[in-house]
Amino acid sequence: MLSRIRAVRFRNSEFRENKVGPMRNILCVTLIMMSMVTWRVHAETNPSTQPVQGLRENTPRVFALVGGKIVDRPGHVWNDATLVIRDGLVEAVGENIQAPPEATVYDITGKTVYPGLIDAYAEAAPPSDGVATALREQGAPYWNSLIIPQYSVAQYYRPSASQDEKLRSQGIVARLVAPGSGILRGTSALVSTGAASSERAILNPDVFLHGELTAPRRGRRQYPNSPMGAVALVRQAFYDAQWYEQTWQAYDNDSRLPLPERNDALQALQSLRGEATPLVLSASNELQFLRADRFAREFGLPLILVGSGHEYRRLDAIAGTQRHVIVPLDFPQAPNVGTPEAAANVTLERLMHWDLAPENPKKLVEAGVSIAFTSYGLKSPGDFLQKIREAVQRGLDKDAALRALTETPAEMAGVSRRLGSLAPGKLASFLVTDGGLFEKETKVLETWVQGERYLHNRTPEADISGAWKWNFTVGAPEPASLKIDIRGSAPDLKGELQFAEKKLPLTKLRLDGLRIAGMFRGELLKKPGVARFTAVIEQAEESTLTLNGSGEWGDGTTFRFTATQEGQTDEAASEEEAEEKEDEAKLEDRAASFAVNYPLGAYGREAPPERSALVAFEHATVWALDGTGKYEDATVLVRDGKIVAVGKDVQIPDGATVIDANGKHITPGIIDCHSHIATDGGVNESGQAITAEVRIGDFIDCNDIHIYRQLAGGVTSSNILHGSANPIGGQNQVIKMRWGSLSEEMKFGKAPAGIKFALGENVKQSNWGDNFTSRYPQSRMGVEQIIDDAFHAAADYRKRWDEWETRHEGLPPRRDLELDALVEILKGERLIHCHSYRQDEILALLRTLESHDVRIATLQHILEGYKVAEVLAQHGAMGSAFSDWWAYKFEVYDAIPYNGALMYRSGVVVSFNSDDAELARRLNLEAAKAVKYGNVPEVEALKFVTLNPAKQLRIDEHVGSLEPGKDADLVVWSGHPLSTASRCEQTWIDGRKYFDVAQSKQAEAKAREMHRTLVQKILDLEVPMQESPAEEEEDPMRLWPRVDVYCAFSQAGQP
Amino acid sequence: MKILMNLAYHLRTCCFPLALLCAALWGTCSPASPEIPGAAQSQPIALVGGTIHPVSDSPIEGGTLLFAEGVIQAVGGDVDLPADTQRIDVSGLHVYPSLIDAMTDLGLVEINAVRSTRDQRETGAINPNVKAQVAFNPDSELIPVARSNGILLALSAPSGSLLAGQSALMRLDGWTWEDMTQKAPVAMHVHWPRMTPLSAWWSSSSEEKPQEKYDQALEQLRETLRDARAYQRSKKVVQENGDQIPYDARWEAMLPLLRGELPWIVHADQREQIQSAVAFAAKEEIRIMLYGGYDAADCADLLKRHEVPVIVGGVHRLPARRHSPYDEPFTLPERLRQADVQFCIASGGRWSSSMVRNLPYHAGTAVAYGLPRQEALRSITLYPARILGVEDRVGSLEVGKDATLIVTTGNPLETPSLVTMAFIQGRQVELDDRHKRLNRKYSEKVRRFQKTDSE
Repeated sequence: MLSRIRAVRFRNSEFRENKVGPMRNILCVTLIMMSMVTWRVHAETNPSTQPVQGLRENTPRVFALVGGKIVDRPGHVWNDATLVIRDGLVEAVGENIQAPPEATVYDITGKTVYPGLIDAYAEAAPPSDGVATALREQGAPYWNSLIIPQYSVAQYYRPSASQDEKLRSQGIVARLVAPGSGILRGTSALVSTGAASSERAILNPDVFLHGELTAPRRGRRQYPNSPMGAVALVRQAFYDAQWYEQTWQAYDNDSRLPLPERNDALQALQSLRGEATPLVLSASNELQFLRADRFAREFGLPLILVGSGHEYRRLDAIAGTQRHVIVPLDFPQAPNVGTPEAAANVTLERLMHWDLAPENPKKLVEAGVSIAFTSYGLKSPGDFLQKIREAVQRGLDKDAALRALTETPAEMAGVSRRLGSLAPGKLASFLVTDGGLFEKETKVLETWVQGERYLHNRTPEADISGAWKWNFTVGAPEPASLKIDIRGSAPDLKGELQFAEKKLPLTKLRLDGLRIAGMFRGELLKKPGVARFTAVIEQAEESTLTLNGSGEWGDGTTFRFTATQEGQTDEAASEEEAEEKEDEAKLEDRAASFAVNYPLGAYGREAPPERSALVAFEHATVWALDGTGKYEDATVLVRDGKIVAVGKDVQIPDGATVIDANGKHITPGIIDCHSHIATDGGVNESGQAITAEVRIGDFIDCNDIHIYRQLAGGVTSSNILHGSANPIGGQNQVIKMRWGSLSEEMKFGKAPAGIKFALGENVKQSNWGDNFTSRYPQSRMGVEQIIDDAFHAAADYRKRWDEWETRHEGLPPRRDLELDALVEILKGERLIHCHSYRQDEILALLRTLESHDVRIATLQHILEGYKVAEVLAQHGAMGSAFSDWWAYKFEVYDAIPYNGALMYRSGVVVSFNSDDAELARRLNLEAAKAVKYGNVPEVEALKFVTLNPAKQLRIDEHVGSLEPGKDADLVVWSGHPLSTASRCEQTWIDGRKYFDVAQSKQAEAKAREMHRTLVQKILDLEVPMQESPAEEEEDPMRLWPRVDVYCAFSQAGQP
Repeated sequence: MKILMNLAYHLRTCCFPLALLCAALWGTCSPASPEIPGAAQSQPIALVGGTIHPVSDSPIEGGTLLFAEGVIQAVGGDVDLPADTQRIDVSGLHVYPSLIDAMTDLGLVEINAVRSTRDQRETGAINPNVKAQVAFNPDSELIPVARSNGILLALSAPSGSLLAGQSALMRLDGWTWEDMTQKAPVAMHVHWPRMTPLSAWWSSSSEEKPQEKYDQALEQLRETLRDARAYQRSKKVVQENGDQIPYDARWEAMLPLLRGELPWIVHADQREQIQSAVAFAAKEEIRIMLYGGYDAADCADLLKRHEVPVIVGGVHRLPARRHSPYDEPFTLPERLRQADVQFCIASGGRWSSSMVRNLPYHAGTAVAYGLPRQEALRSITLYPARILGVEDRVGSLEVGKDATLIVTTGNPLETPSLVTMAFIQGRQVELDDRHKRLNRKYSEKVRRFQKTDSE
């Protein structure tokens, strides 16, 4: 089976040195040895199947570069060295090497040679329509057209002369060209920048498998249309590849089995995995980076990351992954802060990013991360070196920079036998500069690609700078003899005529080989108009030049002149130049003004809040919500993050940090049972009606400022739910609001798994617009059926697996992540949280679940729960509702604020949730509405936002009330927690103070000061600013919805 | 009262099958709320024994408030009552003027997601002539719900892309919109163009050429004024000659604005918008007020100099920028007060008008974040009355003003407080609503099941 498909894919086995088997290694060595022998005998310069057109070309290709500095590998320099090149390969490099007599010798005295640079990531143009259609529809593609690992850039690559020229001008001799569209996109090729035709350009095909863990932003129809859907899809594809291999093996062993499906994508994935081809994932921010790492670990895949330039924001975690990183150089332009108003709109985060981003490469290297560079994201690859120099100015070690441009990418791509340094046998791909590569003024003079020499900055044939004595011989003005002064070197020449304390600029000075031309105004010389001249440069004596020229005055009369070089001009540069230099120095010297905080920007922390071993809050009104409910003038004692005692007679041990809470109220931390903050996975995967495979937990956004804002409202835990687009949506994630920590650290580890279901208008697409009338279901009748059907499917699936586990007969069953989640529900291992409004649909769902012996955890929204409250109670369903939302769509026209109280009186465990980033900031006041509408006792009402949601999420063993043994998640309020006049003063999680009103004010003052400082820095440095005062979002992950667009807002998804 | 409730019950039973039909045929029928408008005041009424909060003055404990023919006759500790006065004992209760929501689309939108129930927005950018009150549905189920929590007066305003139309201050009880109009027009509403694009999930990454769009919108407003003035001039000249010019509805509607009789309410939150709007209005000599006003405190000097009041567009808002203080919207009323800018608080209309009842809690949150309690109360009573130009009739409990008031169990800014009675121009209005009706119905169900359980 393996061999059958492998034949489809040609590989250059010689290049793939880190992946070849021993047999092939021997073969390679033999080939190389044979070719080494042939070098000396006759140079076969062009081993090709192409027939020769016209005459054979056999120009000798032996060169020696002599007398310069040669940096043959990062950190090693030969001085006064020689580099010998034969037939495109390095023959010798080092000091004391004789140039072969047949070699063409280039004197590189004063110049420096570096190994050719490698641009580690570029994106190929998207496949042409024809190819795209073929990938989608021809052969045996994967069912989803975003999974195209079988696509190989090498098969469609075509070099572009102009692009290659730009790359060579930066010293780039090879680059990795990766496929740019899709989720699993196919394989990249390492290509040379010095080949006119593709068959010569591909150095190594199928280097990496590429992808990105996000979806293209497109409409609501296609699956996946969210980042979390994309991850679910890729995850399924990798499982499918494993299954594909197993199922074909089974079939190959027993041909009586049914013929398995053929699938090009899975076949390719299987082959690539077999060869341990690294996966390269693009990560548009630091969180995507960490997600990609987690994903690769799930499957044990070798992974390389294409970074975003945001890596410095979570440097320790990034370094901890020990992945190679391809680092971009598109440092942000300064935001527009030209007016106070524009500046006010620029976030501190953005300002800090502008300030810190150029230090990203340095920080990565210092953290021990192995990096390579990409020109991807730059306006032009012609800015490549300039940006790298900026990174060096901002602290990146020069050897490390060179390594990231040579050795590292060569190793990553498995071509260090050929590229990455200069040594005998390697490709003669290198660059020649007139100075240190990372010095600002240094020019790349020439780039050699596989023995071909490309000149960029030809050294002017004459150095005409200096002072000249200028004598008019014919048509002389008054005076006939003057001085001229020429500065700079071609093409940036500046000149000045000088006589009798007067200065007259020479303009349009142009050096063309050994000719020079220019203009000057005649007035001061008592000649009309503008004079033009041309002269020929000749060598007079050793190192002295003369000019012999002629010109024309403004009136048409002509003149002739000679000039003699007299020596160098005074180095005293003009004041203007001095100022320029000073400004540049300022730019170069600048370091980031502030250290990275977590998350970056306002309210970011420098370190996690400390945890005192013992904390006692005394003299507070404590709403413990235990059997007693509420204590006056009581103490809460916390040890190591857990509550150890609550009550009036608690002894405070010595050494405890004592907090006087006299006059304050303390309640358990608020728990929001329905939220969509802190996720950047798109909230909804609406491409299919059932998306049980999708996981919010893949996309917890620990940088979401709403986490902090809600801490300031007393929220300590939150249930982050998938949206309501589908009858069976994605898996939810319960988090603790541990602001400053990483996404994984925010997860409420002990919370059981759950999943979102939804009913009614949203899932039957009532408010999606007029074009959504065909997806099943379109009615509540269909909603009931599709859910019932899914559970039947899950039961069948479970049975098939059980049979397989016991008998191992037939084809192995395919692991289906969607059905896995449903089986977990059947097993009672996954809680259902179902968006629901109307009593009919509520009843129908409960009856369907009961028929499958499943009990629901919570009904969410449940705004008509009051109409069937006794059914909920009998089923054991809990209700998590809005306190008083209604009338925003038809199915909530009968929603009433008494709903909570009526359900409560019927014995249902009731919570009030937010479903809204703003409302979550004052859920305590939502609890007060249970008192207003239905007279629920205060203690019970407060449970609506604390203990009851904890019960609903099955985390009440840990949180929800202040009882010994539970987590110290609590809130200190300025007054009665149900009063509008009270405010949250402190919020504690696990015995750590994550919010403090006074500290918050300090943080705001600090943020203001940082903002002011950075705005001034931009203005003071006079760096170019973005034109538009608008906030342009450079990270596409930021643009995914942060609300349930099908739920919160009803008008065609817009607020 | 009992008769009223019975009537309400009958009305509901009649309407119930109809309501089901509505699910399918929404556009052809509109449900009516069964609450019957209060009858005109027929005899003097005195509320005695409670705490009277005139709002304009300090509270009077154990005071008396007397009103006749819809107008307040006396407020005080010791009031002589005419012989035929109906005395209502409100001991232990509190009397406040009606709460006023200075920005809603009440009566114009029933259910936001159902297009046929939306009447708040006309097509086109320049609609100075459309008037909110004529589309105000007196039978909207949302009206009694708002009334139940003490909001008896609400500005109902159209929305739009630029010049949206004219708003009206509505009394939330009556048979027809004419009965219910307290003042119309109150203002013409302009949604000030944004200079910076929104970068959010619903807009494609960032709008192209925001500055250009902004310039165009501003030019459109200038043109509108230019054309309206041309119409005004022509009309005058032609009229002086005893003739008439052809009628133009839009420019006709602009005449009161040009005469300074009608202000603009400019919907603007950002500093740039506010500066630009105030400067524009000063040059064009138009009286304006701001609605929204997120950044208004940063423009305090400008606003004071031009006497521009601010209708705070909801206290319960998110901070506008990632680095904004978390409580920036909560502290806005207090910052405006300290800067001496005239302001009031509106509910913000974020969920259309189904949330008008939560108006007092916006003011309550402002108290938690610094606004003195008395000022908070005024910011939803006296101050909106002043800003909307109806201070002579409503906004406080003072002799000569309308008896448009509420009786409550406590401070209306605190959630658990309930409204027990309400009067609009002396007419006692029903405080039943859709929610209370459904609560009664299903409380009965709960009661029956609990009975069955206990048996």
